[in-house]
Order: sequence, then C-alpha cells, then structure tokens
Amino acid sequence: MPQDITVSFAPHIRRPLSTQRVMLDVLIGLIPLVVAAGIYFRLRALLLIGVCVVWCVATEWVSNVIRRKPGSLGDLSAVVTGAILGLSLPPALPFWTAAIGSVIAVGVGKMAFGGLGANIFNPAMVGRAFLTASFGMLMTTWTVPAPIDANLPQVGPENIMDARTQATPLSWSKIAIKDENGADIYNERQFLSTVTGNVAGSLGETSAIAALLGGAYLLIRRTIDPHIPAAVLLSAFLFAGIAYLVNRDAFVQPFYHLTSGALLFGAFFIATDPVTAPLTRRGMWLFGLGVGAITLLIRIVGKYPEGFMFAILVMNGLTPLIDRLFRRVPVGGKPRVG
Amino acid sequence: MTTATQDIDSQTQDDAFVGPSRSFAGGVHPPEGKHLTEDRAIEPGPATKELAILLSQHIGAPAQATVKKGDAVAAGQQIGECKAFVCAPVHAPTAGKVKEVSLLPHVVLGRAMGVIVETESAAQPIAPAFRRPEGFDPGTYTPEQICEAVRSAGIVGMGGAGFPTSVKIQPDAKAPKETLIVNGCECEPYITCDYRIMLEWTEQIITGVQLVARACGARDVFIAIEDNKPKAIEQMSASLQKLNLSAALRVVPVKTKYPQGGERQLIRAVTEKVVPTGGIPPMIGVVVTNVATAAAIADAVVHGRPLTHRVVTVTGWGVARPGNYYVPIGTSVQALIDHCGGMTDDAVKVVLGGPMMGIAIADLSTPITKTGGAVMVLTKRQIGTDRFEQRQTACIRCGRCLQACPENLNPTRIAHAVKNNLMDLAERYFISACIECGCCSYVCPANIDISGYIKTGKIFLARRKKKMPS
Repeated sequence: MPQDITVSFAPHIRRPLSTQRVMLDVLIGLIPLVVAAGIYFRLRALLLIGVCVVWCVATEWVSNVIRRKPGSLGDLSAVVTGAILGLSLPPALPFWTAAIGSVIAVGVGKMAFGGLGANIFNPAMVGRAFLTASFGMLMTTWTVPAPIDANLPQVGPENIMDARTQATPLSWSKIAIKDENGADIYNERQFLSTVTGNVAGSLGETSAIAALLGGAYLLIRRTIDPHIPAAVLLSAFLFAGIAYLVNRDAFVQPFYHLTSGALLFGAFFIATDPVTAPLTRRGMWLFGLGVGAITLLIRIVGKYPEGFMFAILVMNGLTPLIDRLFRRVPVGGKPRVG
Repeated sequence: MTTATQDIDSQTQDDAFVGPSRSFAGGVHPPEGKHLTEDRAIEPGPATKELAILLSQHIGAPAQATVKKGDAVAAGQQIGECKAFVCAPVHAPTAGKVKEVSLLPHVVLGRAMGVIVETESAAQPIAPAFRRPEGFDPGTYTPEQICEAVRSAGIVGMGGAGFPTSVKIQPDAKAPKETLIVNGCECEPYITCDYRIMLEWTEQIITGVQLVARACGARDVFIAIEDNKPKAIEQMSASLQKLNLSAALRVVPVKTKYPQGGERQLIRAVTEKVVPTGGIPPMIGVVVTNVATAAAIADAVVHGRPLTHRVVTVTGWGVARPGNYYVPIGTSVQALIDHCGGMTDDAVKVVLGGPMMGIAIADLSTPITKTGGAVMVLTKRQIGTDRFEQRQTACIRCGRCLQACPENLNPTRIAHAVKNNLMDLAERYFISACIECGCCSYVCPANIDISGYIKTGKIFLARRKKKMPS
C-alpha cells in the first residue's frame, strides 16, 4: 500500500516525447552535415562547430545565473543553436569571431527575449547576421574544400581560383547576373559537385546530399512537418525558374539555386525552427513561400549573393502576423455570441 | 520510439478536411492498455456493508431524498425523487437501512448530498439475467411508455456525461431525431467495461437500441465500434443477423483513435455531419447513446428494473488483479480496489475513469456513480515525475497540440491566454469550444498541462459570467 496518492488534471498519461528529445533529433539530423563539413573542411570545421556549441551553452548558463532562473541546458536547445550557427559559418572564420557570434545568438537572440520559446527571431541567424554586419570580410572568405578527389570538378573558371580561397557557386552566379553573360558556365559535372558538397561555402551548406539525408531523418521522425521545407523549396524553384526563363545568359538553372547556398540546409533545419515559425499549416506555407521568394529576390536582384539568412529573419518577424491571419476556426464553426 | 513519435494522426484539419474514412481529423493514439482486462469476463463485485448513493449522479438538478435516517429500504426502491425536467431519480441497489443522509465525497462536485445505506446481507452482487422476449417487437411500446420507464428507472448517459436519457430520447416534432448512433467505441485507453458488455450482453444491448430507436423515432441506427475490437464487431453483427435485424441496425467499425467515442467526433465519423460549436446533436437530428445505457434501457423497459448496478473496469499497473466487475452503485473505490488485491507499492494515482479524461481522486471513499465506468490505479513509472523528460519546459510552439486537437482549436494559445489571465483573448481563441479530451496535454513535448489551463480558464469564465448581470 503506497503512502501518498497524487491528484492532477487529466490526462494522466503522456506521450514519451520531450522537448529534449525533439532537440536531440535535430542534432541527430545534423550529423550528416557535420560529417560533410569534416570531410571537406577537415578538423578546422569540427573545431569551429565545437567553439560555437561551447559558447552558446556557456552563454545560456551564464544568462540563467544572472536572471536567477533554473538551469535550462538540459533541453539541448543551446546545443542546437550552436551547431546550426557553426554550420552556417565560413570555414576559415577565426574562433574568436565565432565565439562572439555565439554569444550574440544565444544572449541577444534568445535569452534577452526570455529564453526558449520566447524569441521572435531564429537565434543562430541573429548571431550570423551580427557577424555578417560586423565582420563582412571574414564572413565572405571562402576556403577551397579539401580535394577528396582531384578529378572532381570545381565550380567556376579554374584560372581565377587561387590556392586558398575561392568564390562560392552563388558568387559566380552573381557575376553572371552582373555581366548578363556566363550563366552557362554551370554544367552537369559542376552541378554534381554542389550536390556532393565539393564547393566553397559555409560549413553545412555545401553538400546537398547531407542536407537531404538529415532532412529525411527529421521528416521520418516527424520532428518537423514537411510543409515549411516544401514551401521554401517550391517557391525558390519557381522564382529561379522564372528568372531562368527570362534570361538564360544571366540566370543559372533553377536546380543550381536549390543545391547551392543555404537553401536545402536552411529549409530543413532553420526555417523549421518551431519557435520562430507559424503554428498553422496555412501559416507554414505562407512562411515558407516568403522565405523562398525573399531568398531568391536577394540572390537575383539584391546586393548579396546569398539571401537565406535575411529571408528567415524577415519572415520570423512576420510570424506573429501570419499566425493572426490564419486563426483556426472550430470544427463546428464560430460559436454564436449569446 | 518510432511509434511514440507517430501517434498523432497525420490527417489534420487546417483545411477542414473530413475524409470518407469513418473517423475524424486530429486525435491521438495513446497506448491502448486494454489487454489488462479485455479477456476478463464480468465478475461479481465486492460484497459491501455500506453503499453511499449520491443524489447527484447526472447533469441537471440533484434528486431530493425521499428517505430519512433509520428508514428501511427495499432493493430497487426509489430513494431520491426528481421534480425538475432535467433530472434523474436514484434507487437503492440492495435492501437495507438508511444510515445517514449527508454530504458525501463527489468526484466532480467535491461534496454532495447522498444516502448511506447499510446493506441487509453482505452478499456479492449478481447480475440478473436478461431475457429477450420471444419475437420481441419494440412497436408494442409507445414512445411515451419507453420514456417514462427510462425516466423512472433513473437512467442517465453511462458513458461519462450523465445526461438524463429520457430527456435525450424523447421525440421532438420540431427537431426530428432521424439518426441514432450507439456508442460502443470505448476509445479511452485501458477501459473495457463496454467491450465486455458488448460480448456478454449483446442481445440486451440490441433490445435497448431498438427501444431507443422506437422512442425517438430514428430511421437510421448505427452501432459504432472501434476497429480494435473485432470480436465485439463480429459478435454484434452475428447477433443482429440471428435476430433478423441486420437491415435496420448497422454495425459501423470506426477507426481506433482517441477521442473517437467523443460525441461530436463520433457523429462526424459516422454521418459526416458537424454539430455546431456550442450546440447539441439533436440540432442536426442525431442522438448518441452508449452501449451500457442501451443495456440499462432494455432492463428498465422489459423487466422494469431501475438502474442500480453497473459494470466497472478496475485496471492499471498499480492494482494487483485488474478485471471487470458488476457492482452496485454506491460501492466505494476503496472497496473495489481491495477486492482486486489492493494497490501495489508503486501506485501513486487513483483515477475515476480512464487515463485520458478520468478524474484523479484523493478520497478513496468516493462512491461509484452511474457514470463511472472505470477505476484506474497508475504507477510512478506511468506518471514518471522523476524523469527530466517529464519536467515542464517552455512552449516551443511546435504545433503538435494544434494537430492533435479534434476540434481544430489552438490549444497552446488558449493555455497561454489563461496563464496570463487574458480571458477575452482565450475567448477569441474559442476556449468554450474545447471538449476537454486532453489530446493537447498528451502530445505536448514541453509537458505543459494545456488542457488543465483550459479547464481552469473555463471555470474562470463561468464565474465571471455569474457575477455579471446579463
């Protein structure tokens, strides 16, 4: 016979899925991207991601102590922010810069709003935006990936390539847009290297295969809904396709837009951040379409070669409005006021 | 782990999609737990010296005691009468002496008036046999006769809500009740009392269903059973065939999903009609009644027996010998648990009802009422308060509660509004449309008691409305 019995509201059983487990699943989904980063950018990539994770976790811990809040490191969300921030940085970024970005990401992007669930903007993207604005040069220095196979093609005219750094596929497409010529430098072999990841770029974004593998894991585990990635990729493909049909000399084929830059990585891992994305299915579609459209708008018309980060931040800001726009109505219709 | 993450139904209703499959959008798939008791035949319950019969076992006005301390009562004698329209009388289950008329523990109301009867002979209750008359024809009874028999037998909805059945089934010229749905879903995990009744009292249920259909004049009659009870579906269909009723009464297998047996969800699954928010089924010409209620109606009309006993499932990992028991109304939860070998050492919670909607009780002397189909004892492992996983985190806005909500609400927003005491905001998110099924709390990875907040919010609103002049 037990000593005490407890009472509480129903239900008395819970699904054994926790916030911690959701975050752990995201981390498991990120493994292929970390592996790809390790293959192409070697030990430095792993160290850089490690620095981000450590500083993100430390920032959350310090901030909890200052705010006299119970520890929240166990929910693993700081680890996820660190890993995503790390994967979104260029391989050669100095560690101290990455540390600053991590402090901004968690300190300003998340804890200043009140911690997990209260932030409006994706913390990793806040940190990255800060670094882009403050250390523009460092944030656009792209290392040549370590050649795993010397015969694999490099993207871009080979004579311009120097020993250490190289432009990203999207930088090349930007030059083609400016010159209204040269979009045809991309061929199937070069497309293949954006798929495998043997191109310059941020750690986690170069390999399309890794992003798809990780994304598939999240979808199978139902950690994320398919709606946001589908909307992001569909809208990006549509806008890239329209540009391509308008001028084939200036604009690259739409598939290049999907496999280059942060689109695949971001569609599965950044746009799907539940905290900063809409709650309803229609809202998710509008959000995703907006992310894809703004990304392509920046890539095609804007100053930067890549616009995914800004697209996410803009749509994050619109999320409360989107949620208000698509308020759910009860199955039986709105109740009569009386 | 795979099943754990996939038990929200993928079909959500943002787009108000109601598919052709016999189900509804939203809902969850909790572990069923029926194996503990589904193969245990209905047995006599404990022999008790005292029965505590509450005068409020239904929705509506409480019955008024017609006996006083020291009175002798006979088995089946009415001890609480009702004057109001929405009310049900109560009867003494066994012969004995009135020990007291006083306040007793009540599972919903806290304390309520009731009659304590000291039983004459402490014998185990035995379910009287039901004999379906040869060539039974419900047409020999008029609707008025049936309603009157149901009313005087004190029959209320035995599935949980406890609405007086005679009010529900009486014919209404203005809103004809065309469709009768008999609820044999038993979607609540662990409970098996309705399942056992469907297997063991099949003909009695069918007789009751015919009588209800006769009383309310329903043309279409469906007996809905979840497809995780193939034996019940088979047995019911076979009995209908034997009685040559297959054409008039149709067995409808519905998808196994919680809360399939919720009235609004069941109507949607079977008829694809939608009960308006804040409305009741008769508004769209539908009556829903539970299988146990149908069985009680047959007993009342054919044999003139009042509702004094019911089948209760005693289950959960915290009880030594789970099973299904035929018990007099008024038996205490303690007596039932003792009858089942008592609680195990790791038992931490006693719930009247199932794990999804049942009410946890602190006072084990709480008596069984007409509506209480189960006593569940949960263990520490099931509640799991000692694991980090089970601790509450902030809402991560994952939207799982939106997908799980069978009424297409936004549970997390309502819960936050209530938490911040923004009751107007909660109303703008349609807090009153919540059916309190608990799916949102069940799926929440942050372990937030969403439905608890919503229930609290409804109480706040009710109080506020009471204070304000209308």
